[in-house]
Amino acid sequence: MENITLTSSPTTPYFPEVNFNVDKGICEISGESYMEETYKFYLPLINWIKDYAKHIKRPLDLNIKLIYLNTSSTKCVLDILEILKDFEDEGGKVKVNWYYDKADPDMVEEVEDFEAESGMKIELIEFE
Amino acid sequence: MDTNTISTMTSKTILSYNGPFYIELISVFGTNIRNFNDAYSNARKKLFKIFIELSQNVSNYSENFHMINNVQRIGVGELSLKEFDTAYSFTTKNQVKKTDAEILTERCELVNASDQMKLRELKREQRLNSPGEKFGARIGLIQAVMLSKNKLEFKVDKINEDFSYFSLTVKIDKF
Repeated sequence: MENITLTSSPTTPYFPEVNFNVDKGICEISGESYMEETYKFYLPLINWIKDYAKHIKRPLDLNIKLIYLNTSSTKCVLDILEILKDFEDEGGKVKVNWYYDKADPDMVEEVEDFEAESGMKIELIEFE
Repeated sequence: MDTNTISTMTSKTILSYNGPFYIELISVFGTNIRNFNDAYSNARKKLFKIFIELSQNVSNYSENFHMINNVQRIGVGELSLKEFDTAYSFTTKNQVKKTDAEILTERCELVNASDQMKLRELKREQRLNSPGEKFGARIGLIQAVMLSKNKLEFKVDKINEDFSYFSLTVKIDKF
């Protein structure tokens, strides 16, 4: 399995920065997410996590540091959380941390909905 | 006067556009909306989110569209952002099939008849049941009302037997 590294650019702020690292067992998504053809962007990330759960099976941390995600992206993030929940139910060790700006109370509500919909425990952490 | 109806109040136009809703344009407009001044930061955060959702609805679903390289479909429509003393109002207008106008009208009426708790329920339900992939989550209208806490103003203008214009306005209070 290979790592996924996507850097963000000021000219395309609608794509988030992505760092999925097999050796460290860490997946990070940060910045903003409101691209066109959202599923096309997220599909490789979803497949990476599926492969990790199937073949690597080591502990996995998902750190989300998105200051904005559109509703299409929320659907893809929910897909990721559901895969992680399945991995956890099969004995995998998973930790999900969601970093948020405390000046944005709408995000807290969004994360609570993700928890309820996926069944995955999400740790809410304020941005430093 | 209905507190949700602001079309008769004095306003200044911040942004007005008619054309294809390219993501590059939406992004530049959105960034400007977020950063054009330091006042009402909470309202502008909500405005940005609503702006992106409703603009992407035009981009994805307008029946008047441009094709890029015969592959990518970019919806054409109008947007208008106005500032009032106590609120912003954001309007989009695009062409829809007559049958879709009826579906959209029903959807807006359902959203307007729901309180915040019901909207949250609807959002969860629709996100879980949405086809995903090409069509996204289909919860943009619900999200706009949940964020603004104001009802949608919508209007259908017949173009011909097959198509109509669908206009949608959301008010975002400054305070």
